[in-house]
Amino acid sequence: MARDKIYLEEVFPSPFMQLWLAFRKTPVAMAGFSCFIFLIILAIFGPVLAPHSPIEGQLDMPLLPPAWHANGDVSYLLGTDELGRDMLSRLMYGTSLTFGLSFIVVIISLVVGVIIGSLSALTTGIKSSFLNHFLDVILSIPSLLLAIIIVAILGPGIDNTVWAVVMVLIPQFIHITRYAVKEEFRKDYVLASRLDGASPFRILYYSIFPNIVDRIMGQATLAQSAAILDIATLGFLGLGAQIPLPEWGATLANGLDLFYIAPWTVYLPGLAILFAVVVTNLVGEGIRHALKLRKDL
Amino acid sequence: MLIFTLRRLSLFIFTMLLLTLLSFSLSFLFPGDAVINLSGAINATPSQLAQLNENYQTGSNIFVQYFAYLQHIINGDLGLSMASQSVISHEIMNLLPATIELSLVALLIAMFAGIPLGFIAAINHNKPSDNIILSVSMLGYSVPVFWLGLLAILIFSINLGWLPSAGQISLLFEIELVTGIQFIDILLSDSPYKWQAFSDATAHIILPACVIAVAPATIFIRLARTSMIEVLNTSYIRAASAKGLSFQQIIFRHAIRNALIKIIRHVGLQFANLVTIAMVTEVIFSWPGIGRWLIVSIDQRDYTAIQSGLLVLSCFIFVVHILTDFIYAALNPLARGIKHGSR
Repeated sequence: MARDKIYLEEVFPSPFMQLWLAFRKTPVAMAGFSCFIFLIILAIFGPVLAPHSPIEGQLDMPLLPPAWHANGDVSYLLGTDELGRDMLSRLMYGTSLTFGLSFIVVIISLVVGVIIGSLSALTTGIKSSFLNHFLDVILSIPSLLLAIIIVAILGPGIDNTVWAVVMVLIPQFIHITRYAVKEEFRKDYVLASRLDGASPFRILYYSIFPNIVDRIMGQATLAQSAAILDIATLGFLGLGAQIPLPEWGATLANGLDLFYIAPWTVYLPGLAILFAVVVTNLVGEGIRHALKLRKDL
Repeated sequence: MLIFTLRRLSLFIFTMLLLTLLSFSLSFLFPGDAVINLSGAINATPSQLAQLNENYQTGSNIFVQYFAYLQHIINGDLGLSMASQSVISHEIMNLLPATIELSLVALLIAMFAGIPLGFIAAINHNKPSDNIILSVSMLGYSVPVFWLGLLAILIFSINLGWLPSAGQISLLFEIELVTGIQFIDILLSDSPYKWQAFSDATAHIILPACVIAVAPATIFIRLARTSMIEVLNTSYIRAASAKGLSFQQIIFRHAIRNALIKIIRHVGLQFANLVTIAMVTEVIFSWPGIGRWLIVSIDQRDYTAIQSGLLVLSCFIFVVHILTDFIYAALNPLARGIKHGSR
């Protein structure tokens, strides 16, 4: 009999692995996670896979209904808009704009927010109290309102929208990191490594970050669903992606005049946004559930 | 309670200073001349411009400029709209009540729908009804509000024809503006068609208020559910059931009160969220409120209006925030400060 393990060694998975092991047990969360991966793949390869151009239309076949209607066309699976642009291709390109950009936005603001948050957790006294009040004020202004103001300063456009949403999300990450780091700092294992003479940065990197990464990921999924909705809303209001870009919110706003003649130009982008947000929330829900399971053990 | 009040007051003053500082710095961040951005006087003659420079102290250092700006705000002078050259403070006074009315109605709908559902979910914790309520609430806060608004218009206004799709009241009714809040104005007016006007205004507010209420209601469901589960696990509930009280008595006499207190604390935060949703919904339903005005101002690059709109809207949100803090403190003695034996 082959013996893989000669010694009985207890394996302690890292907190991140523990999270994954608990996460895997909920089927709904796993379904959400696979859809999430699907959206990411679509965001990267969508422009290659799309059957038609999202910007150039076939002017001879405008407002074609989706293929399952009586006068639909299979080569335009989800129909066309008023300029004969294929809706399916537009939605696929839109995935990389709305969903892909929101993913990048969350990563940028996560990195910046975590760095500032953990540095600020190390400060004490008047500096930290000022920061606390300042964050309270920023967090009390709704995120979309703040994004609208930043876009108003920078001017409409998709790149400005991205910066606006990044800036709006950073305070949330600062807040949660600061809280989590402060909470961990009070625990005994941190005290132990402090008594060993570890510098604060060493403690942060080796002791604290592995233990708070799950909480930050939970916040990241919340931030992502907010980012998708904010980018789409700004696009809808005409402050985000400008006209030929197939961003989902902008596509929806574009179909608004034709709502009663061609309802699919409004249904489909809306459904796409709903799908992306639900999937993100499912993943987030799964992470929070896994965290709770681990806490209850 | 006095110390609590003083603390909140200092926080309020600090926040107001920060907000005015923010809106003051906006005038430098926006393109164009700062004085013109602050005052909105785009067609000013050189002599008027000199007068404005004098008023806003542009010659002096930045602190004096800021105090000059603060003085203008305290006197209620928010400048002129760049697009229409009308006085902004008057416009805001006309528009803000409509937004307050809409968001209050939406908040009430959200609370009355969300909190009981959350309690039901908590009482049936881990049963099918709990799961159904949770999944529906997740759909509710994932749906983009502008899409939901459009669907609601399509279904209820166009296909079924039950409710009007735009505006605050039918143009047939002439209601004099007194308080700005439509329902109160209608009741105050002495028009013979008062009740027709009242029902017409109600029909207009139902659809936008329900659309706004969906997302906050789902959050109230989750808040109510977690706080109720927490309360049901406490020892005083166990003591009450040991005493022999029936399940209904426990829920209605003990659990609901204690669970409600925890929810009230979050109403202020939710209100900020709700006002943002209301801004977008106002655009879709052509509601004559401050949110639609602000978004139109951004389209027109009306910097003075954007700046003042931001200031007023965030002040409003913050005032509500502080008010709910006070209500919470008044209801819950533990929140006023650390008491002996409370930990």
